[in-house]
Amino acid sequence: MKKALFIILAFALVALAACSNDTTSKVNTKETNESKEVNLYTARHYDVDDQLYAKFEEETGIKVNVIKGEADELLERIKREGDATEADLFLTADAGRLYRAKDAGLLQPVSSDVLDEQIPSNFQDKDQMWYGLTKRARVMVYNKETVKPEELSTYEALTDDKWKGRILIRGSENVYNQSLLASFIEINGEEKAKEWAAGLVANFARDPEGGDRDQAKAIAAGIGDVAIMNTYYFGQMLNSEDPEEVKVAEKLGVFFPNQETTGTHVNVSGAGVVKAAKNKENAIKLLEFLSSPESQGTFAEANYEYPVNESVEPSELLKSWGEFKEQDIPLSALGENNAKSILIFNEVGWK
Amino acid sequence: MKRIANVNSWTVIAGIIILLLFLPNLTIISGIFTPSNENWEHMKEFVLGTYIKNSFILIGFTAILSIIIGLSLAWIIAQYQFPFRQFLKWALILPLSIPPFIGAYTYHGIVNYTGIVQTTLRERFGLELNHVYFDIMNLPGAIFIYTIFLYPYVYTITRIFLSQQSASLIESARVLGKGPWQVFFQIVIPVSRVSIIGGASLVILEVLNDYGVVKYYGIQTFSTAIFQTWFGLGDIETAIKLAASLMGLVIFILMLEKILRGRRQYSYSTTKVRPLPLIQLTGAKAFLATLYGFLILSLGFFIPVIQLVDWLILTFGKIPMDEFLIYVKNSVLVAGISATCIVVFALILGNFGRLVHGKYAKLLPKLTILGYSIPGAVIAVGVVTAFIALDQFLTPLYQLLGESSTLVLSVSLVMLITAYIIRFFAIGYNSIESGYDKIGTNFRDASRLLGVGITKTFFKVDVPMMKGAIISGFIVVFIDILKEIPLTLILRPFNFDTLSTKAFQYASDEKIMEASQASLLIVSISAIAIVIFNKFLDKETK
Repeated sequence: MKKALFIILAFALVALAACSNDTTSKVNTKETNESKEVNLYTARHYDVDDQLYAKFEEETGIKVNVIKGEADELLERIKREGDATEADLFLTADAGRLYRAKDAGLLQPVSSDVLDEQIPSNFQDKDQMWYGLTKRARVMVYNKETVKPEELSTYEALTDDKWKGRILIRGSENVYNQSLLASFIEINGEEKAKEWAAGLVANFARDPEGGDRDQAKAIAAGIGDVAIMNTYYFGQMLNSEDPEEVKVAEKLGVFFPNQETTGTHVNVSGAGVVKAAKNKENAIKLLEFLSSPESQGTFAEANYEYPVNESVEPSELLKSWGEFKEQDIPLSALGENNAKSILIFNEVGWK
Repeated sequence: MKRIANVNSWTVIAGIIILLLFLPNLTIISGIFTPSNENWEHMKEFVLGTYIKNSFILIGFTAILSIIIGLSLAWIIAQYQFPFRQFLKWALILPLSIPPFIGAYTYHGIVNYTGIVQTTLRERFGLELNHVYFDIMNLPGAIFIYTIFLYPYVYTITRIFLSQQSASLIESARVLGKGPWQVFFQIVIPVSRVSIIGGASLVILEVLNDYGVVKYYGIQTFSTAIFQTWFGLGDIETAIKLAASLMGLVIFILMLEKILRGRRQYSYSTTKVRPLPLIQLTGAKAFLATLYGFLILSLGFFIPVIQLVDWLILTFGKIPMDEFLIYVKNSVLVAGISATCIVVFALILGNFGRLVHGKYAKLLPKLTILGYSIPGAVIAVGVVTAFIALDQFLTPLYQLLGESSTLVLSVSLVMLITAYIIRFFAIGYNSIESGYDKIGTNFRDASRLLGVGITKTFFKVDVPMMKGAIISGFIVVFIDILKEIPLTLILRPFNFDTLSTKAFQYASDEKIMEASQASLLIVSISAIAIVIFNKFLDKETK
């Protein structure tokens, strides 16, 4: 019976607390100078990231505690945790999400000469709430046998009748597509962006399905001729353990669109220090470490991402694709226009 | 006087459990009453129709196909003797060990352009067939994935019922000269209705809640809509409205089950469970029975596992492995603790359901099943909110204990385990409830008549008679938690990885080959659990 009583007590506590409003004031623990930890919420899942954290720990003696999850859900968690959150740094793979974190008041401005030196200003938030760490371009890949690169020019040109039934791209729930459309809303205005989306849907080779790699495979299978995908997925395919994937990738060419006009769409992985961070200094140190030439080199080699640090060269593979002109818009626009882009996708029937 | 006090303590404990399980649902129900905004109108105008249609098609076909496969297998195994029957009997549960999202990625890997099927056709036979034949990423494909990995819910529950419960009825029918088809349609289907529907509703709830498969296959369903409005549009009210509609659907399904179940009761008439005597199949019939069993088993287990092993070999040594023992330990630990809690709670609630009288009181425990219908991410937010409030409430206590942080419980495993309990209670409860149904109330009444208290009767009479239901409830919940994704991702403490988070991590980066290690470990642990489960059941029925 004692056990039962204990259980009752425990659950009564839970029930009580859940009912009580969160009006109780919170006591923030003061940051201690000797803190040897930094707590990271990250939406990047790559093994190379873990290696870098281990190296950071080795060099500085600061332990990196990590929770990996999906960006939106981690954001929601930080929001709910409020001032009491344990999170110091929020790291994610899309500028739109960084904007959302900032917009929700979850981040704080950070000033660091090291960061300013290592990260060009167009890859920093204008209020220095977040910093880009790696770049990825959303490019076209095409079937070398059926398409000549001269036929390709801009994202906009893909809505031409000539491409009817030949275009491949993944579903609209994917954040890279949302950010792509958001960038067009920024550059060309909402009307034009909607026309583009509708025009592209009209030229789809099939209803969107699968991930970025699946679009490339669909070209090889003859379902379509041109696909829109992120650069690092293509890099991974070219270097896949599966020889069949390599074969597919080798049939395809990479094209950087809008070189004569508005530039190719780029997005970043980036991070911001959480407003209620308890280990702010360590979080900044980690940011500085991740944007240092050494770490940037590791990112570039292991994951075929473009480094933001200009003193670091991209991997051989990326260099072989040549330099390219990027979209010249503030990355926060990707976040500002995100909801609009979703509504447009629904309206034009982009699944 | 003592008796009344006793009933009350059961009521109190049951009430607390119901409250705990029901809390996240409350936030959702309250959302229905907020006025609708333009996003809701937008969703209604452009997409909701398609989403609802897709969800219904998915649920409907998956349920029907799972029943056909699950029931037919259960019947063949329960009634006939044929080669490999003993093996198939437990092996047919194995598809449950593969998380549907891994199954979806794996099957796509097998049939896509670079997959083994098309490559072989192309390179061996020079055949370049129309890609449409190999496209699995559509509604029929998703139905196939769900059916082949979820039918064991129907199969397990129905088989146990048939082999333990129906012996006298079926034997009588046989003696009275009914042929096998007549027995099947006139006896087996009607008497096992409860098990069939119980199993099928688990399948349906699982499909409604899944997000991984439909997301990857690009099929828009109700869950897509919830996530899109919540995260994409940042509109939690509309998302909650959608979740509430989903809950309405689930309530409807549960009611349907109750109505179909009707007033019929089939409980033990003796304490001795008498297995159904088997009929020996020979020749072509025996061959067909074996073939059918192996066909389903291959589709649901061998084929995907072989593909995963192949990928494991391709990527071996390419990904860090040193931590995998820790992931195994973590997975088993949280799944074990949570499953234990769920079984204990389900036993208490189930007993409460038998003790109280009145229609509404009896429906109360059913409500807790709603947790199963809500997308994991929505539950997660409810749980985080509750735990932060709890931590604030307990802060004075923490300070008393010299703890400097204000967040203690919500950065611990307690939060994750609580969420699991809320999410998976339905599965454990389903199994325990059917156990209670089976033993009926006669033995309890006899014990009570002899002057034994409720609590003592519970431990001495009810629990021992329900060992089978308890073990099966535990194992199914255990396996489900091993496979779980959204809750584990969001609610885990720092530096806490499980096998499923690892598998998901690679799969979501489109690195399905690298996900094979973690996936295979999940499959192996689940398979071991299934073997143990089977050993135990065998002993029970002997």
